Amino acid sequence: MGQGPSGGLNRQLPGDRKQDGSDKKDKKFEPAAPPARVGRKQRKQKGPEAAARLPTVTPLTKCKLRLLKLERIKDYLLMEEEFVANQERLKPQEEKAEEDRSKVDDLRGSPMSVGNLEELIDENHAIVSSSVGPEYYVGILSFVDKDQLEPGCAILMHNKVLSVVGLLQDEVDPMVSVMKVEKAPLESYADIGGLDAQIQEIKEAVELPLTHPELYEDIGIKPPKGVILYGEPGTGKTLLAKAVANSTSATFLRVVGSELIQKYLGDGPKLVRELFRVADDLSPSIVFIDEIDAVGTKRYDAHSGGEREIQRTMLELLNQLDGFDSRGDVKVILATNRIESLDPALLRPGRIDRKIEFPLPDIKTRRRIFQIHTARMTLADDVNLEEFVMTKDEFSGADIKAICTEAGLLALRERRMKVTHTDFKKAKEKVMFKKKEGVPEGLYM
Amino acid sequence: MAPEPNKASGSGSGGATKNDAPLKAPPSKKKEEKKDDDLSEEDLALKQQLELYVERVQDPEPGIQKLALESLRQEIRSSTSSMTSVPKPLKFLRPHYGTLKAHYEKMADIDLKKYLADILSVLALTMSAEGERESLKYRLLGSEGDIGSWGHEYVRNLAGEIAQEYTKRQSEEASIDDLIELVQQIVAFHMKHNAEPEAVDLLMEVEDLDILSKHVDKTNFKRTCLYLTSAAKYLPGPDDLVVLKIAYEIYLKFGEYSSALQIALFLDNLQYIKQVYTSCDDVQQKKQFSYILARHGTAFELDDDITSDDVHREVLEEIINNTKLSEGYLTLARDIEVMEPKSPEDIYKAHLLEGRASAGASVDSARQNLAATFVNAFVNAGFGQDKLMTPPTDSSSGGSANWLFKNKDHGKTSAGASLGMILMWDVDSGLAQLDKYFHCNDNYAIAGALLGVGIVNCGIRNDCDPALALLDDFVDKEDSSVRIGAIMGLGIAYAGTQNEQICSKLSLILNDAKAPPDVIAFAAISLGLVFVGSCNEEVAQAMIFALMDRSESELQEPLTRFLPLGLGLLYLGKQERVEATAEVSKTFNEKIRKYCDMTLLSCAYAGTGNVLKVQNLLGHCAEHLEKGETHQGPAVLGIAMIAMAEELGLEMAIRSLEHLLQYGEQNIRRAVPLALGLLCISNPKVNVMDTLSRLSHDTDSEVAMAAVISLGLIGAGTNNARIAGMLRNLSSYYYKDANLLFCVRIAQGLVHLGKGLLTLNPYHSDRFLLSPTALAGLTSMLHACLDMKAIILGKHHYVLYFLVLAMQPRMLLTVDENLKPLSVPVRVGQAVDVVGQAGRPKTITGFQTHSTPVLLAAGDRAELATEKYIPLSPILEGFVILKENPEYREDQ
Repeated sequence: MGQGPSGGLNRQLPGDRKQDGSDKKDKKFEPAAPPARVGRKQRKQKGPEAAARLPTVTPLTKCKLRLLKLERIKDYLLMEEEFVANQERLKPQEEKAEEDRSKVDDLRGSPMSVGNLEELIDENHAIVSSSVGPEYYVGILSFVDKDQLEPGCAILMHNKVLSVVGLLQDEVDPMVSVMKVEKAPLESYADIGGLDAQIQEIKEAVELPLTHPELYEDIGIKPPKGVILYGEPGTGKTLLAKAVANSTSATFLRVVGSELIQKYLGDGPKLVRELFRVADDLSPSIVFIDEIDAVGTKRYDAHSGGEREIQRTMLELLNQLDGFDSRGDVKVILATNRIESLDPALLRPGRIDRKIEFPLPDIKTRRRIFQIHTARMTLADDVNLEEFVMTKDEFSGADIKAICTEAGLLALRERRMKVTHTDFKKAKEKVMFKKKEGVPEGLYM
Repeated sequence: MAPEPNKASGSGSGGATKNDAPLKAPPSKKKEEKKDDDLSEEDLALKQQLELYVERVQDPEPGIQKLALESLRQEIRSSTSSMTSVPKPLKFLRPHYGTLKAHYEKMADIDLKKYLADILSVLALTMSAEGERESLKYRLLGSEGDIGSWGHEYVRNLAGEIAQEYTKRQSEEASIDDLIELVQQIVAFHMKHNAEPEAVDLLMEVEDLDILSKHVDKTNFKRTCLYLTSAAKYLPGPDDLVVLKIAYEIYLKFGEYSSALQIALFLDNLQYIKQVYTSCDDVQQKKQFSYILARHGTAFELDDDITSDDVHREVLEEIINNTKLSEGYLTLARDIEVMEPKSPEDIYKAHLLEGRASAGASVDSARQNLAATFVNAFVNAGFGQDKLMTPPTDSSSGGSANWLFKNKDHGKTSAGASLGMILMWDVDSGLAQLDKYFHCNDNYAIAGALLGVGIVNCGIRNDCDPALALLDDFVDKEDSSVRIGAIMGLGIAYAGTQNEQICSKLSLILNDAKAPPDVIAFAAISLGLVFVGSCNEEVAQAMIFALMDRSESELQEPLTRFLPLGLGLLYLGKQERVEATAEVSKTFNEKIRKYCDMTLLSCAYAGTGNVLKVQNLLGHCAEHLEKGETHQGPAVLGIAMIAMAEELGLEMAIRSLEHLLQYGEQNIRRAVPLALGLLCISNPKVNVMDTLSRLSHDTDSEVAMAAVISLGLIGAGTNNARIAGMLRNLSSYYYKDANLLFCVRIAQGLVHLGKGLLTLNPYHSDRFLLSPTALAGLTSMLHACLDMKAIILGKHHYVLYFLVLAMQPRMLLTVDENLKPLSVPVRVGQAVDVVGQAGRPKTITGFQTHSTPVLLAAGDRAELATEKYIPLSPILEGFVILKENPEYREDQ
């Protein structure tokens, strides 16, 4: 089959059987062809992690049986630990390992060039390409883990003979790693005025399935995959997402829809794929995509390549949400203020099951929001917030915040230590004026 | 307003409560108090209301007190408890918990006091400090009303506190009567609300499972028992027996006799088996019991209590004696259309290999013929026809003799025995065909025929004992090969029967100083097989003496390993009962002492999953020996034997074995593949397959051989294409090495065992029961493989026939009430673990619908796809009797 010319490149290959670690130096037995084990197609397993994976323990409900089973696993792990520790103590392998490592380093040479694996020809040979252009037929050194080599992966090559000497693992797109929220935002659920129903819903749909999957199992339903938050601007969608990130211990990945639009063809969908792959690796995790309308608008005959690309990005998103591969512990939160323009396929049950509306605050909520924002302000005695609370004007949460800030600024301008009622009044007018795009309030009343 | 107002403070607790962990106070407690003032109006109103009630409770007037308590109670109960947050009233009452508590102490009125105790008990749910168990305290002081009215969360918390209180009182030896009273209530509540696991857990904590039987009913006993039986595998010491006993009683109570019988078999309790038989008076059901017993391989005598009707007894005995096994197996074969005999070349599929495969013909043709004999025997096992040994009669009379005589010396023994395997389970025609070899004058051929008789009778019992009658005379013959043939035949034919005649016969040989060592070795193993798991003193004594009599040089013989193994098999799975013998074994010659120790330990705890013993064995494997001792091999096998009891242990043991491979010396590395083979027997797991495939190219040829044989074992009877492909490649890779090629051929034969209709797995009935004879057969074969070069590749390759003990058709054959095969549609799919799941979850996934008879792969489960019949056994494996469903109506 693939027994092509073996070239002069792989003469330096060391003994084929080194990887067993127990190489007895008997020279009389000449090893024939190496095992024809690794097929062309690669299993989707992540190398050593897959081997070290523990068996799943089945009743997910918290019960004694589960405890017993987990204890059994723990017992075995303790035994393994004891055994390995004993062995290490009995024959310290560090020196030998050190020696081996330096030998491997010698073989690898320095510097190593980074290339791309184009095709695996057979056990020991592959076609590689480097960034400069030409492709080479080279040997793969025996110490390279062949299970992890797959066409398209980034590899390390010897600087002279270009043989494969290693592979670069974990080629996570740096774009994606940036999306991970490392530091939890400061906003907590306590900083949200009202929205009680919304909070409960998002908790049930996103947080509980990750922390207590057994509850859903008990009832016999599959938890929802994700939620979409929609509503007028400034009603607290992003704030709620921040609160979720603040309270959860799951990995929180946040993206803005527009980030998914990339310069080159195919980069956007790739980013989406990467995003969900990373989410899967780091699961349990929550993916938050803000302003989803950037990519998720209805499909129509696109005129430009750019538009088509955006649609392709969305198609990839559709596939990731409810495609062929199931995503286990990944929950998705989408946020938009234009739900009517989104593609219906995106919102169908099975993808985004829960639609959570964020209405403009009613009077009670408004009062709560005012209270939250004025809690840290020094108010004059004459301030009567009820006046603003009871007004007929449509405020969003953000507007209220703006009013409070504006009032504070006005007081600051006049070097007063307290914010007065007039400040609030002016601030309100100003905010409303700006909101109505320059049309002064009361003009059409 | 939203139905359930939520506050940030709720996020900390709520649904997170565990069964046995007390509720933790929400972390954001301080924050909440600070923010008290910015509550919404309703909340404020509620709060003030509650404060008022609290004040009134402290009112001196009893009437007002009572009213206030009533309203408090009302408030708490009516608040919809959400899983995401603490109910409001509870939250607002938190600051008053202390005052209420103080007031409680001062109260005089008994009734009101009880009332208040109830409320305090609920409040303690969130308030009580960890370890205080105030909820329980006030509950016991309270009015003892309906426990469920305060909600699930409360009951769970209470259960957790009871468990803690119980352990405390146990250590103080205080009375627990009041607790048990409460436990009764809680269990009743749980059982009514589909929370059987929680009820069982609580009862296990308070060690009073007997209460359970009062609360199970028709709707929940199955789930309860399932939970009990699966927990039993993981419970330590005597607890598991208690649990199983309860499950047995419940099954019996609800007339689920087949399941009860399975537990009886698991406990290996003849009394229980008999009880199942006597308490059931349905004849069909009894037939089903007999099928289960036959599959398990226990010898069980039906006496008059069980059935007084002679006709019935005959039928039942026929089933228990497995006489119909061959018929059922052939029905399956005909249905699947694999009756056509296959030749070894059909299995090798050399044409699929490129190039040099045909060049192999040059090496050692005797070895090749021997390999072909084995492959032929394994592949055509039980079919009654093949292409080498039983060619069509019209071609020539000497056809089969020809093949027999194509083998050299001891090869003829295996060839003769292979005829036995081809005619396996079919006693009448088997004996007729083997008969001709008794009269030839070649001792090896006679030995083969004798062994063949044993194989034909394997697992089949007959009143006139044809095997014993035939073999008896040959046991004392001059020629040792004939004697071995006869002895091994007896061992295989009567495995697990505890036949006294054989005992006296073989014990004599054991203690005969003049008998050659190999005869003694086989006598020991045969005795071990016949008396497997019996703990028979007499036999044990005979073996111990035989072991003591061996001279130092004889102990070095490779076959001597069968002596300790025979001894170990007597105690197979019997745990502590081995200890007396284990003590004696410490006095043996040091050459064999440790070997004997390991073997006894591993056999006694085989199939128990005992972690401590695994640790012990691992400890032995951790040593690095310099003196060339051999006891680590059985220790490694022992790990597999013990850990194979349950899935988790099995997977973890595979991990441990990987470490052994990494750190172990050669003698350990040689045993690891065999242990892997035992763990995944007839169940080709991909990761194990990969490991073995890697080891099959090992530089140490014995490791490679063991790995190759194990590849055969894990694929035994599966026709697994991947393993078959690997083995084909190996056959061309090792074409120059006769020994390894022989192993590859054997493995190929095993993969196609019975053309894919057989399994070697000793576990059956949903992996619940372990057939002792099957495990004994496997262990014997694996111990022989520990010294591959001397035994399998030497003169004693016929030890491979020990595998016949584990061979069983992996079928589901449904029969009607007259025991005639009945074809019904069944769904076959991957089994799902449904233990502890609510509702009626699916037990299989990814199923396909076939009509019986069907093959069941490892991890497969079947269920009937029609309502027309009712199976008499809940587990559809092997023979299952179907009863017509009286309520079934044909859809129009």
